[in-house]
Amino acid sequence: MDEQKRPAVEEKEIIEGCLRGSPVSSRAMVDAYGKLVMAVALNVVGNRQDAEDVCQETFIQVFRHLDRYDPMRNFRTWLLTIVYRRSIDMIKKKRRFSEFTARARFEPAVAERGGNPHFADPEPLPSALLTKLSPRERTALCLWANEGYTARDISEVLECSASTARVYLFNARRKIKALLENEHGLLQNG
Amino acid sequence: MAFCKMVDFIYAVLPIRPLRAFLIRSHMESCPRCQARLLSRAEAGRLFVTSDRVGMPADLWGRITCQAERATPATEASSNQGGAGWRWATATATAAVVAVTGFWLLREIDRQGFDPGLVGAADRFQIDYVNVGGAPAQTFVYQPQGTDTVFVWAIKNP
Repeated sequence: MDEQKRPAVEEKEIIEGCLRGSPVSSRAMVDAYGKLVMAVALNVVGNRQDAEDVCQETFIQVFRHLDRYDPMRNFRTWLLTIVYRRSIDMIKKKRRFSEFTARARFEPAVAERGGNPHFADPEPLPSALLTKLSPRERTALCLWANEGYTARDISEVLECSASTARVYLFNARRKIKALLENEHGLLQNG
Repeated sequence: MAFCKMVDFIYAVLPIRPLRAFLIRSHMESCPRCQARLLSRAEAGRLFVTSDRVGMPADLWGRITCQAERATPATEASSNQGGAGWRWATATATAAVVAVTGFWLLREIDRQGFDPGLVGAADRFQIDYVNVGGAPAQTFVYQPQGTDTVFVWAIKNP
């Protein structure tokens, strides 16, 4: 079933089940929103291993703090706020260890974990152009493009004003367009 | 065209978010020329991974239950309660020490015959000799004017 068209009743049942501590409902929540969480995390952090960690931590946090969820709010937006926060934490953590990761990039045997080589992974990754954006701009653009979010919805996820979200989105759209045009011009000239 | 350039110029030189948001809302979102310089939703969509194209992490449910078991809510709650108890105890002890010290200081100052000048560090300072390396050293004592600070500078005698 398409996640975007998930009936509110089913969503409510899953949430209530999780609040009662039902493992079946928890499993249903992971199955229902796992791909959405994974996609947003992958788009923000930019690589699969970190996105998987973000995905795992997001659900752990959701199950622990589901009692704080306000039913008046959109559940997807609440969930994506957690994904965004966990992704930002992951980016900060990575930045702190940037020296190590820069070294590890040349040592794939060290960088890969658990004998699960992702270099042969056929799954898609977000465009490298997106690394030119700040995490906030990237998240704003991702939510706008993939989820059809408006500046107001984005502001709820980013926990900023709608004006600020509008500026992030605008800057992201303009920067990437310029980069694409530049790339296109280089291809035509060269 | 000239107006678009002017708006662009203002947007670039004044990095004030509310102003930028106003310019976007009032002009850039409705101007076809400005819109042409922005990425469309379809173009942006091609850059990102969508939820229907992404695979779920391997054994995500297993990883979640494993991590959740490691820190069950019961142990978390009890450790949180324990932590909160310790924090309260530390805070209460600190407050008590501060209160007793403050009370004692106030009592000392209010006591009859208390002369603040007498308790100055400089007035109570006394030095008979300074030894460096087992031999009397060349010693300089310096007190900046109007302060209670005393500097002692000792140099080993040649």
